[in-house]
Amino acid sequence: MSDIIKQNLWDIIILNTSGPEAEWLQDRAASSPMDLMTAFVAAPRFLSKKIISVNPDQQFTLNAEIPGFSVEGWSLVRLARVWLLTQLDPSDKEDYVKNIETLFDTAEMNELVALYSALPVLSYPDQWLFRATDAVRSNMGFVFDAIALHNPYPEKHFSELAWNQLVLKTIFNDKPINFIEGLDNRANEKLAITLSDFAHERWAAGRSVPAQVWRLAGKFMNPTLLADMQHLFDSENVDDQKAAALACNDSSLAPANYLLAKYIDLEKSVKSGTLTWADLEH
Amino acid sequence: MCLNNNDISPNPSHFEDSEETIAAPAHRDVAWNDYKDLIKGMRFFDPHIHMVSRTTDDYQAMHQAGIVALIEPAFWVGQPRTGLSSFKDYYSSLVGWERFRSSQFGIKHYCTMGLNSREANNEPLAEQVMEILPLYIYKEGVVGVGEIGFDDQTPAEEKYYRLQLELAKSAKLPVQIHTPHRDKKKGTERSMAIALEHGIDPSWVIVDHNNEETVKSVLDKGFWAAFTIYPFTKMGNERMVKVVEQYGPERIMVNSAADWGISDPLAIPKTAALMKMRGISDETIRLVTYQNAIDAFSKSGQIDVTDFESGYAIDHSEKFHGNSILRGGQQPSPAKDSLVIN
Repeated sequence: MSDIIKQNLWDIIILNTSGPEAEWLQDRAASSPMDLMTAFVAAPRFLSKKIISVNPDQQFTLNAEIPGFSVEGWSLVRLARVWLLTQLDPSDKEDYVKNIETLFDTAEMNELVALYSALPVLSYPDQWLFRATDAVRSNMGFVFDAIALHNPYPEKHFSELAWNQLVLKTIFNDKPINFIEGLDNRANEKLAITLSDFAHERWAAGRSVPAQVWRLAGKFMNPTLLADMQHLFDSENVDDQKAAALACNDSSLAPANYLLAKYIDLEKSVKSGTLTWADLEH
Repeated sequence: MCLNNNDISPNPSHFEDSEETIAAPAHRDVAWNDYKDLIKGMRFFDPHIHMVSRTTDDYQAMHQAGIVALIEPAFWVGQPRTGLSSFKDYYSSLVGWERFRSSQFGIKHYCTMGLNSREANNEPLAEQVMEILPLYIYKEGVVGVGEIGFDDQTPAEEKYYRLQLELAKSAKLPVQIHTPHRDKKKGTERSMAIALEHGIDPSWVIVDHNNEETVKSVLDKGFWAAFTIYPFTKMGNERMVKVVEQYGPERIMVNSAADWGISDPLAIPKTAALMKMRGISDETIRLVTYQNAIDAFSKSGQIDVTDFESGYAIDHSEKFHGNSILRGGQQPSPAKDSLVIN
């Protein structure tokens, strides 16, 4: 990984730690891999439990270095752990991978969160693919969030199958999909079709689907999805109607545009840009 | 592997005891409705319970009864482990999945880490376990080294007990001592003598599974005395009330040690109710069912009472994950008496 990222992370740490805390981190980072790994584990015993503050410049720099990477809202321990991982010497690939794997194998929940948060800054990114898809299988909410939300790793490295699982499970878990990095870039037809099946199951059970998920459908409109759009327009839930209008507007198919044209007010707000998907991100 | 004991045991659980005790169970049925008003508003801390063997029903009942936090000591799980990975996965589950599961029911979960005495007898495996143990004892929420000590009182058990006392010393962690079921009195004395020999301050040591025969010596030497309320085979809570009447609340704590055997995850609330019925003061009840355990294990620096003292809400744990929108997933409470499942 780049030295710039290491430095960026350290700059944020400096702003959020006391002198002794920063010294402890420096000291541990300069020690043997085993000591560094123990420091990764023991960090909560030496650092205060608090949420870090990041200034906009720092966030901008991080994002410029790794698009989509953010430490916003992290605890100090999480940030320090990720920074410690960047201090592991990657020159011997076998040792490096073994050490990170050991940390994964023995990790508790908060350590897993830190490890998954660190994937975008670790060396040998392909090595962590299985781990990353495993986190999507996790039933521990925070662990799942660490890979699925605000994390640029999946967008870059997941296969379509793995990506679709991630998105579907986010929806299934009732979490906001707008926090998934690369949602629009990785939109695909298979996902749109599966989404329709999923919605039908929910509707059959008398349950609902968050309106914003239909942003995944617009570009892949087909007769089935068009019927879903009609269902949404007919819904009593205003958000569903808005979602249908937005999705139809995203489509270049004539039938979608005809359908939208039937709902004059909605069409107007969509075309004028007063209604966007951001309005449904809640 | 130490299996000899199973051959003679009628109930291969955490707690076997002499037939004499089994013949005179100090236990009786108490329905929730009969005692819930007696303990209304009380909070409990169970410093010894093996939730890995308990169900979600137990978690809900514990939460309802006022248990706000617990400690899950590492122990043997009935089936002897045959490899290091089984230990690793078990230790990871104590700080990972089990901790998360507990949080879903609004109960703060801590644990102690250690190599249990039974499996210390499998020396080749014990050696490997000792190598990875340091990676676990420094973890967040690990409040002690435990439960360690003697079972059969073999030389191997003594060897790993001593090694783990040293580990506790270097990590500045309290020690949770499991005292043996058979030859308990001598085993307890021996455990304490060895701890003192290693220069460990007795106020950092919780001697567990006491009874009327062991308690005086444990308290006299300055150790914490924990009592396990475990139906049929261990202390009954009526006996427990008498112990508290005799010795007072100082350095005494109650736990359930509930596990896969016939045990009771509500042992502490029930004992508190019984104490209340017998006229023991609220302050004494608070000390032996809540505060003393916190005081003893807080020496680890890993217990922050603000995490649970006013009820442990999922929102609280969330704040350290920095996103108030996201739910770790608190379990909804289904209506148990309803025929219709939604």
